[in-house]
Amino acid sequence: MPQLRDSRDTGHRRAHAGAEHAHDFARIFGIETEYGVAVTGATKPVDPGQVAMTMFRPVVSRSRSTNTYLVNGSRLYLDVGSHPEYATAEAIRPMDALAQDLAGEHVMRRLAGEAQQRLREEHGGHARIHLFKNNVDSAGHSFGCHENYLLRRQVPLSAIEHELVPFLVTRQLFTGAGRFTADPGIPDGFEISQRAEFLDDAVSSSTTRSRPMVNTRDEPHADSDLFRRLHVIVGDSNRSQTATWMKMATTHLVLCVIEEAWLNGGVSAFAAMALADPGRAIRDVSRDRTGKTHIMLADGTTASTLDVQRRYHDLVSAFIDRHADDMDVILPDCDRVMTLWRQALDAVESGRWRDLAPWVDWAAKLRLIEGMRRREPTIPDARIRQIDLDYHDIVNGTVFDRLQTAGLMETLLSEESIAMAVDTPPADTRAALRGRFVRAALATDARWTCDWTHVTLNGPAHVEAELLDPFDPTPTTAYTTVIDALR
Amino acid sequence: MPQEQISSQESEREQTADQTAERREGGFSQQASSLDSLLDDIESTLETNAEEYVSSFVQKGGE
Repeated sequence: MPQLRDSRDTGHRRAHAGAEHAHDFARIFGIETEYGVAVTGATKPVDPGQVAMTMFRPVVSRSRSTNTYLVNGSRLYLDVGSHPEYATAEAIRPMDALAQDLAGEHVMRRLAGEAQQRLREEHGGHARIHLFKNNVDSAGHSFGCHENYLLRRQVPLSAIEHELVPFLVTRQLFTGAGRFTADPGIPDGFEISQRAEFLDDAVSSSTTRSRPMVNTRDEPHADSDLFRRLHVIVGDSNRSQTATWMKMATTHLVLCVIEEAWLNGGVSAFAAMALADPGRAIRDVSRDRTGKTHIMLADGTTASTLDVQRRYHDLVSAFIDRHADDMDVILPDCDRVMTLWRQALDAVESGRWRDLAPWVDWAAKLRLIEGMRRREPTIPDARIRQIDLDYHDIVNGTVFDRLQTAGLMETLLSEESIAMAVDTPPADTRAALRGRFVRAALATDARWTCDWTHVTLNGPAHVEAELLDPFDPTPTTAYTTVIDALR
Repeated sequence: MPQEQISSQESEREQTADQTAERREGGFSQQASSLDSLLDDIESTLETNAEEYVSSFVQKGGE
């Protein structure tokens, strides 16, 4: 329990939640995914927004809100006129965040499947609900897959703009989900990223005025004296499990290098790659699958996408060498991450992008369409865009599942691991406490709410506990009081 | 109990990772013929009205 600050009593310092990680590389990971909703095959017109509300009916009936938390500690959310959204419970490893993200797909799929049954009662037996884990609809409206990374407070926002953004702009080479488009500005009608055309500034604190790549809203859901929360908006929604894992793992490593520099008083070597115009660069990178397009750096020179990525890779390698004894804690399987990263850059550089089809979403999609074009050279654009969307449809899509079944798309986690993540929060973060609270609350008639940092009983008793340390799965006294009140 | 869950999850992940690595080393001609039969499969299961499918997906309100 934090004590009141007393300036006369120098031996009595306020306890900071998570202080044991104030100077190391431990990180909390989270992914928030907005899903697109569409309906086909209905016998009468139906509004997808209405359908989304229908999907959430079982959620509303048990928690009295379309904004709720689940027994695995994750958050499920639907705003009127908005996209169903799932935000993963706190994880300390990218692999655990991946499991929670896939659990989110499972939860959404189940809700959509039940809603589809209900829809068919009034709208015919061929009505289908589609949930798209992607970033653009057919009319050019964009929506996001946002990553969250806990960051030590010493890293200033200028470091994010100068030292992280060049990485975010160029990592598309292996994190991009690909997009087929009729936009005449896009050569070949294909680009490697879904989101690149829709982002403006590098860094901003507003999500309404323009769309920045990184958001600086600072609600860290942790002790704000020690940490800030990096909210990355620029990423694509990935279907490939390896791509999701690599996206978080490589960004984590880059953040480690940045933190190490700033904890030692200065900028990292990444600063040499600060970009002159990130909004322009991200589009140029997205439209070129050779990685050779040159982007303008802030110092007036240029570098290719591959040059930038190689430099990041090399500096991260050096970090790993310096911290060899701790890497199994900092990032399990970091050797595999570095190998895949290097292989991705090598493949793009040599034109062998098809080698990446087993784990890079844009390569998988492009190879598929290339195959279809070979068989049917006059394949209509609508058909290509249909396949592009189907790839991301987690309810009624067939393309992606068939790639996995055929062994053409890698999986990292078994169905059993994913099923476990649906019901079980990560055991080694605050999510464990929230998940346990939700499970206990759902078993009673109690009125309850929670958010990332609180669990609250509203009735019959009113009891609340604040949980400020995302790294801590151990019950506090206040938390135990809340759980006891539920019995 | 949570500790047991973590270690069984980890060993399951290692197994899956090994199997995936084997598949990747499996060779390209295998991949190419898998791709062809996959394309057959996909063509037969996609909804026939591509235009309707694509245009059905319009949704504002995203971040």
